Amino acid sequence: MRNVIERVLNLLAFLLTAARPVTADEIRSTVSGYDQDSDEAFRRTFERDKDLLRGMGIPLERHPTDAWEVEFGYVVPDDRYALEDPGLTDDERVALLLAAQAVRIGGQVAGPDAILKLGGAPLVSGGEPLAADLGLSTEVLGVAFSAVADRRELRFTYGGRARTLAPYGLVHRRGHWYVVGPERDQPELVKAFRVDRADGLEAAETAGSFQPPEGFRVAEAVPDAPWEAGESDMIARVSFDQEVAWLAERSLSGRSSVVEHGDGSLEARIPVATPEAFIGWLITFDDKAELIEPEELRARFVARVEGTI
Amino acid sequence: MSSARTARRLNRILAMVPWVLANPGATVTEVCERFGYQNRRQLVDDLNLVFVCGLPGYGPGDLMVAYVDEDEVVVEMAEYFARPLRLSAPEALGLLAAGRAMLSSGLGSPELAAAVMKLEAVILPESDESVVVDLAEPPYVAVLRRAAAEAQVVRIEYRAVSTGAVTTRDVEPWMVFSTLGNWYVRGYCRRAGAERVFRIDRIRAAAETGDRFDPPEELPPPEVRYTPEEDDVRATIRLRPAARWVADYYPVEIDADDGSEMVVRFSASDPAVPARLLVRLGASAELVEGDEVARSAADLRSRILARYTR
Repeated sequence: MRNVIERVLNLLAFLLTAARPVTADEIRSTVSGYDQDSDEAFRRTFERDKDLLRGMGIPLERHPTDAWEVEFGYVVPDDRYALEDPGLTDDERVALLLAAQAVRIGGQVAGPDAILKLGGAPLVSGGEPLAADLGLSTEVLGVAFSAVADRRELRFTYGGRARTLAPYGLVHRRGHWYVVGPERDQPELVKAFRVDRADGLEAAETAGSFQPPEGFRVAEAVPDAPWEAGESDMIARVSFDQEVAWLAERSLSGRSSVVEHGDGSLEARIPVATPEAFIGWLITFDDKAELIEPEELRARFVARVEGTI
Repeated sequence: MSSARTARRLNRILAMVPWVLANPGATVTEVCERFGYQNRRQLVDDLNLVFVCGLPGYGPGDLMVAYVDEDEVVVEMAEYFARPLRLSAPEALGLLAAGRAMLSSGLGSPELAAAVMKLEAVILPESDESVVVDLAEPPYVAVLRRAAAEAQVVRIEYRAVSTGAVTTRDVEPWMVFSTLGNWYVRGYCRRAGAERVFRIDRIRAAAETGDRFDPPEELPPPEVRYTPEEDDVRATIRLRPAARWVADYYPVEIDADDGSEMVVRFSASDPAVPARLLVRLGASAELVEGDEVARSAADLRSRILARYTR
C-alpha cells in the first residue's frame, strides 16, 4: 500500500503543479515510481492509479497537448480538484457527522470520508436521535444529483419511453426518490419521475443548459401520495368503511376531498395519476373500501383482484 | 491489499495535510481525534509517507516536509495540497440528504441547519433547496419517541397490517425509526410476550400508561427484519417480470431466476400477508405451492369481489 500511495501522491503533486496536459510518456520518465521495466507493466500500473484517483472523485481529464490535437495528455483542473470551503465551524461539522451517522442511504451511512474532506470532526459520542433509511444507493442517485447541481439534462427510459429531462430537483418523499422537471418536448409541464424506475440514467455533457422558472419550488412539484405521480388523469371516488376511515384519511393528501357520513364512513375523491399504485394501495383495505368511479378504473380493479390482469 | 483501503488512506492524507497547513501548531492529539487516527504511530506513518513524496527531482528541496516535533504536527512545502479534495457527487448528496432528513423530522439543531445551508451554498450554488427530503411523520411519532427516551410504557391501539384486526397492547418502546418511507416503533409487546415491530401509521391511538420499564442494554439495529419461525406458513410464488420488485421488498428466498421470471419462497407468520400480496400482483404472479395461502387468497378475493357484484 505504501508504494501505491507514494506513487500516487507524486503523480498528483506533478499534475497539480504542471498546469498543462502531460503525456503518459512524460509521466513515465519524470514521476517517481513509474520506472517499470516493460511498457506493459507501466501501462497496468498507470491504469490502476488512474482508476484509484477517479474513484476518489479526483478529476483526471485528457486534453490535447497542442492545438493540432496530435498528442493527448493528462490534467487535473485545479478548480474541479479542490473543495470550495463551505466554512463550517467545528460544531457544525459535528452536527453534520451525527446526521450522517443516523441516516442510511442504500443501507450505508454517508461516508466519514466526506467529513474528513470538510476538515474532520473532533471526537464525539452522541446518541442518535433519529434512525432513518432513505433507500436507493447514493451511486444511483449521484448521477441525478450531479445533473441537478450542474444543470445538465438527464436522459433515461421511463415507462418504456426514452426521456430527456431538465432536472430541477431531487425529492425524497414517502420512501421514494423522485427527480423533478419538465421533459424537453413539453417545457411547460413539470413532472416527477421515480428514480428507481428510471433506467439507464445518464447526465448530458453540457452544464448550465436550463434555468428553473423564478420562484419554482421543488418540494411542491412532488405529490404527497405515490399514485399522484404519473401521467394518467382521473378522479377516483372511493368509499371507506367506518373502521378504516382513520387509516384512509392519514394516507390521503390535500389534493383529495373527503366527506364524512353520519355512520363514520368516508367518501373520498382522489386524483389518480398511476392506477397501478392506487390499486395496490386500495387492496390493503381488504373489503373495507369500494372503488365506485370511474367505471374504467373500477373494472381494472376488479380484473386485478380476479387475477386476470 | 484492497484498493478501497488504499483509497481511504489516501483520502485521509489529502484531508489531513491541508488542515495541518491551515492550522499551524496543531497537536498530535488534535489531529488524531479530528481525522480518526487510532494513535500517534498511525499518524506518524502517514507523515513519513508524505515526507518521501514531492516534485520531480525528488531532492531535499523538492520533497514535502512532514514530521512530529515534540507534540506538534508539522507539514511544509506542500502548497499544492493546501486545498482539500472536493466532495464526490454521492458524498455531497449523502451529507445533504442526511442533514435534510434530520431537519425534516424536527430533530435538527441550529448548528445542523447552518451546516446544511453552508454546504448547499457550495455544492448547489445556483439552486438552493433543490434537494428535498421529506420524512413526513404520522401521528404519535413524537409521543413514542418521548416514551422511548423516558422508558415509559405506552398503550397502543393497533391495526395489524396482515389481518386488519385491531388490538390494544401495552408496549415497552425501545426505539423509533424510519425506513423506506414508513415509521416504526420497536419494543417489547407485553400482550405478545415478545419483541415486536409496529408500523406507526397503523397505530390509531397511543398514550403513556404511567408505568416504566428497563430498556435492554443493547438495542437491535433500526431495521425491519423478518426472522422465519418454525410454524410459519410457506408459499412458493412465481414472479413474472412486472412483479420482480417483490424480491427486493420482501425477505424472500430465491429458488430460480432466469432473468425474466423468478420463483421465490415466502414465509410469514400469517397466511394473509402473502395472500394479500398475491391478490395485489394479479396476473403478474402465480402461486406454485402453499395451500393455506391459496385458501387465504381465495377468501380475500371473494370478500372484496362481493362488494363489486351488484
